[in-house]
Amino acid sequence: MASTTVTPGRTVRKVQPIPQTRNRLELALWMFMRYSGLALVFLALSHFWMQHVLIGTHEIEFAGTQLRWGITGQPVTVEQLIWRAYYAVMLILAVAHGINGVRQVAYDYFGHRPATYKGLMYVVVAIAAIISLGGILALFMGAAAGGEAALR
Amino acid sequence: MLTPLITTARESLRYRGSGHVLWLLHRVTGLGVVIFLGTHIFGMSMATFNPPLHEAMLAVYKTPLFSLGEIVLAACLIFHAVNGTRIAILELRPALWDKQEVATRWSVIITLILLAPTIAIMAFKSISYYATHGLR
Repeated sequence: MASTTVTPGRTVRKVQPIPQTRNRLELALWMFMRYSGLALVFLALSHFWMQHVLIGTHEIEFAGTQLRWGITGQPVTVEQLIWRAYYAVMLILAVAHGINGVRQVAYDYFGHRPATYKGLMYVVVAIAAIISLGGILALFMGAAAGGEAALR
Repeated sequence: MLTPLITTARESLRYRGSGHVLWLLHRVTGLGVVIFLGTHIFGMSMATFNPPLHEAMLAVYKTPLFSLGEIVLAACLIFHAVNGTRIAILELRPALWDKQEVATRWSVIITLILLAPTIAIMAFKSISYYATHGLR
């Protein structure tokens, strides 16, 4: 879509449209950042206000986690399954949103050095994958039994 | 290798309007939250894999330095959430693009409205905890 209006004395530059088929992944990720962000506003803020503010970090104990997640090897209640789903959805969205954010920042600063950028992203994605797989596994196994706090 | 970082730091700090400051803050707070996110997921998953380590993490969460850091985390998280909502709404609704200046102002106002009671409650709970349990 080149500009056709010509003002005398002005240079008109032809603007090439961005091909719509290119960078489909980038477009998908761009949309993902918006929608996951909107979901995380509710998920992350509700979690933060619930655990870190209303209950308060100083009142958080192992026993509380055992109550919400359930305990490894013991029957799971519906309530615990809802908590697990809540944390799992939040974890997946937050980690994916975070990795893509880090990728954008890394690209801005290291994009002109593809080797550094790629190496950095491999490390970030590897760490994030291990941590989040561990987190999901922990959630669906339930908290470990016992614990000093649990006996009180 | 550091040259782009130094250039970025210098150029980022040069004032280019309110939207630019919010862009920079969005980036910094996002990185802050993502670092805590990683350690938090790791620490919480230890409730399953290594309860003593999990309890040790909870003990760290109840120290004055962490409580201060947690207030910074609250500021980062709430700002990133509010400002991110502004970005999402504006970018998904091109009809609102002439309202950018109003939106940046409201981004800051809503952040402060949500942040003030949050910090007040956190600070109150922290101070009363350390007043009864002592500083560790």
